[in-house]
Amino acid sequence: MAQPLVKKDDDRDDEAEYSPFLGIEKGAVLQEARVFNDPQLDPRRCSQVITKLLYLLNQGETFTKIEATEVFFAVTKLFQSRDIGLRRMVYLMIKELSPSADEVIIVTSSLMKDMNSKTDMYRANAIRVLCRITDGTLLTQIERYLKQAIVDKNPVVASAALVSGIHLLQTNPEIVKRWSNEVQEAVQSRAALVQFHALALLHQIRQNDRLAVSKLVTSLTRGTVRSPLAQCLLIRYASQVIHESGNTQTGERPFYDYLESCLRHKAEMVIFEAARAITELSGVTSRELTPAITVLQLFLSSSKPVLRFAAVRTLNKVAMTHPMAVTNCNIDMESLISDQNRSIATLAITTLLKTGNESSVDRLMKQITNFMSDIADEFKIVVVEAIRSLCLKFPLKYRSLMNFLSNILREEGGFEYKKAIVDSIVLLIRDIPDAKESGLFHLCEFIEDCEFTYLSTQILHFLGNEGPKTSDPSKYIRYIYNRVILENATVRASAVSTLAKFGAMVDSLKPRIFVLLRRCLFDSDDEVRDRATLYLNMLAGDGIVGETGKDVKEFLFGSLNVPLGNLETSLKNYEPSEEPFDINSVPKDVKAQPLAEKKAPGKKPTGLGAAPTGPTSTVDAYEKLLSSIPEFAGFGKLFKSSAPVELTEAETEYAVNVVKHIYDGHVVFQYNCTNTVPEQLLENVSVVVDASEAEEFSEVVSKHLRSLPYDSPGHTFVAFEKPEGVAFGKFSNVLRFIVKEVDTSTGEAEEEGVEDEYQLEDLDVVAADYMLKVGVSNFKNAWDSMGDDCERVDEYGLGVRESLAEAVNAVINILGMQPCEGTEVVPSNSRSHTCLLSGVFIGNVKVLVRLSFGIDGPKQVAMKLAVRSEDPAVSDTIHEIVASG
Amino acid sequence: MGLWESFLNWLRSLFFKQEMELSLVGLQNAGKTSLVNVIATGGYSEDMIPTVGFNMRKVTKGSVTIKLWDLGGQRRFRSMWERYCRGVSAILYVVDAADRDGIPISRSELHDLLSKHTLSGIPLLVLGNKIDKSEALSKQALVDQLGLEQIKDREVCCYMISCKDSVNIDVVIDWLIKHSKTAK
Repeated sequence: MAQPLVKKDDDRDDEAEYSPFLGIEKGAVLQEARVFNDPQLDPRRCSQVITKLLYLLNQGETFTKIEATEVFFAVTKLFQSRDIGLRRMVYLMIKELSPSADEVIIVTSSLMKDMNSKTDMYRANAIRVLCRITDGTLLTQIERYLKQAIVDKNPVVASAALVSGIHLLQTNPEIVKRWSNEVQEAVQSRAALVQFHALALLHQIRQNDRLAVSKLVTSLTRGTVRSPLAQCLLIRYASQVIHESGNTQTGERPFYDYLESCLRHKAEMVIFEAARAITELSGVTSRELTPAITVLQLFLSSSKPVLRFAAVRTLNKVAMTHPMAVTNCNIDMESLISDQNRSIATLAITTLLKTGNESSVDRLMKQITNFMSDIADEFKIVVVEAIRSLCLKFPLKYRSLMNFLSNILREEGGFEYKKAIVDSIVLLIRDIPDAKESGLFHLCEFIEDCEFTYLSTQILHFLGNEGPKTSDPSKYIRYIYNRVILENATVRASAVSTLAKFGAMVDSLKPRIFVLLRRCLFDSDDEVRDRATLYLNMLAGDGIVGETGKDVKEFLFGSLNVPLGNLETSLKNYEPSEEPFDINSVPKDVKAQPLAEKKAPGKKPTGLGAAPTGPTSTVDAYEKLLSSIPEFAGFGKLFKSSAPVELTEAETEYAVNVVKHIYDGHVVFQYNCTNTVPEQLLENVSVVVDASEAEEFSEVVSKHLRSLPYDSPGHTFVAFEKPEGVAFGKFSNVLRFIVKEVDTSTGEAEEEGVEDEYQLEDLDVVAADYMLKVGVSNFKNAWDSMGDDCERVDEYGLGVRESLAEAVNAVINILGMQPCEGTEVVPSNSRSHTCLLSGVFIGNVKVLVRLSFGIDGPKQVAMKLAVRSEDPAVSDTIHEIVASG
Repeated sequence: MGLWESFLNWLRSLFFKQEMELSLVGLQNAGKTSLVNVIATGGYSEDMIPTVGFNMRKVTKGSVTIKLWDLGGQRRFRSMWERYCRGVSAILYVVDAADRDGIPISRSELHDLLSKHTLSGIPLLVLGNKIDKSEALSKQALVDQLGLEQIKDREVCCYMISCKDSVNIDVVIDWLIKHSKTAK
């Protein structure tokens, strides 16, 4: 298997004709292993046999218990040999085989002897093996030697002890923590590897103590670290400290100077690590980015593929958040499209797609088309995703992009790839009205020859929803009916449903749809026939299912209002009887709820560690969760759910975050609580909210949580009534509960509990909570069509600001609106900027905002704010928000 | 080891070919590791740590090179003794003659070990250690209590020794050297 590789290498053609391991078999090697028992040992021979055994193990060959034990004991006899090479193989073999704990202990004494031997190689390797097989009691016996080894003169020995420490920290942290002094000394070592390992261990020992980590980084960044590897680690720890210190836009960022100085380091590894750390800083400014981008740009033209890859990959990530910062590299990046390494080329393309401007799109598309056939599916998916976002950014270019997508849709490709393309086209059709007709047409063509049932049904469903609304729905019928004739039963059934949707929506087509549906009555599949019968009756208006056209449309297009998972369980539990299945009996509760509230008596609390954290990501999930709580049923439709806001520091006893759910006349705070203390069970958990600084709000419901076991999140809710529309306020929160001690060995909680409180951080309801981030694809069209009836324009002075970009971000954050067309990015050094925002305000009022900024010499920022919305009152409100913010 | 020296060793081994392999077993605290030290260096130390696993020592006495497998005597190692006794020239079974309560256990462990068919015919040397202590058994009592008379399938010998006072160590070494010749 190594042959094709070797063949290329002409110089070594003769000697490397075959691999020494070619065709070896376990049985034969085990026979050979008998030489370990010979009275006269041949170290060379023994080493070869061990090499073969290791090869087999690494190839995934398994030894039976008996075989492993035999080999292990035979190998232990090799301790009699003084051959250094052989001894080394013996160490490897013991680590690799490590049989059951009661047998492997037999080598302990020999290893302890080696650990104190004069030969450095013995010492280092014996330490590694011993730490691998040791247990807590034995570790205390050898601790003394390990501490010595950490500060050993020989770097190999010191490294071995340090690495062992890193492993042992997992199992015996309290012992390893006692070695701090020795490790600290090792950090100052002149040997590069020792310094690296010592730094890693020291950080791991202290990782839970934020202050100690910060001190460590502070002292080391002053320049005693010589090893490039250790320097890289230090950069990572420094960026961690920066991250945790909280990001403030004002003032100098701690350690930024250090990171910047690392950009001038000798070692490329360090330069890259520092550049990457800078690009990943949260809220990085373009001034901070510039030096990092410059070194990455140099890497782009490096002769080493790994540097080119690393640089282009990092720039690709930067392009997502700061496309303007990367544009300088575009020329270098374009030359990488033809790079031999396809991974580099793909990343270069996608980066260019992200940073490119409207004029370069066509040229790029041409280059991509040439190269698509050369790359693997997973890279193609990346390209497709990049094109999708490009299309949303430049809606006017949809024609060439849509063409490209339809072309690649026709080519060969796996399911995931095709799915990505179809998803992209569907998204484009939804967001760009002009693209609808051509997009639907491409999809129709695709299902004429589509081997994936899933995609066919998905497209048919989509066609049913969108097709009838086009100018000429009749042209799609042919494609859909072809499915009924040609495809498998699943696709036929969905085609029937799609036909019915056309029939329901387009009256002129109804008679013809009837003819087609009647033909379906002779289908060989039950489901297809059933659907056809059902739809025929419905559309004919016989009054069996629905009487009016509205009911029919509701039935065809409406969504199921119960979670599918719950419906499935209910149907499984349903036993055929006289009583029909009642869909209203299906619980609307989302699954996570019962799991979180479930007590865990007699069960180890850690067993619930894997419990899902509940639905937190999508508004949909929140809506289901809230509608399952009867007290909130009368609040009407949920307008917005905020992102979770942390109310506790990380790594405290109880982790609490809050989600603000906004209704027209109410606000619901959902507190997601997690108990991180294994020895405690919390009961009757509630949050007491003091709303004295929020006069317009009055508490109506507080829903407590019955029990909160260790590590399984639960929710508690507090609801407030508020005036219709906008209201602001500040709320202070206290977590109140009854705490019960839990015996971690049995998982039993004590009977008696103690009442306790835990102070949480304050919470604000702000303007952004009343605004939904909803983008528009073409801001100019939307702006013009909104008209200037409800336009309000005013000017504001924003005072002294660090930069224009900072001012823009601040206003966007206050309003909580969606920036359009990439205008949230401010080119560096520009003196003025226009930013376009869109959103939906509470009461479902569409709002568009055009912000024009200007900055003068002493950093005074002025802003002109133009608002258009469907309601003049809302336009005024936006101005009030900005004025007060 | 210098090149010249190893060359000499090789020459020597050509002429004499006297090499033997021994296993030392017996209950914990019987004095196995002490015996190895006494044979190898003549030194004796009161405070010894229990052997966890085994120690491997090579000792050269006269023209004989002896490989010694000194095995731990704790219960968890006893099942593994047999693996290190296979194919040796002789088994040395060390007994603490002053520990009268331990003798029955020692006896059953010894007979268990000898019943393994892989070890049949290997000569056995039983050593009653610690005769410097007043409560130590006599040789006859030890032979009786260990049931050595019942062992018929191999050569059995018994000496009473003291590692502490170096009593009878020379006799043991003589016995060993004699068996190295017969073993070859």
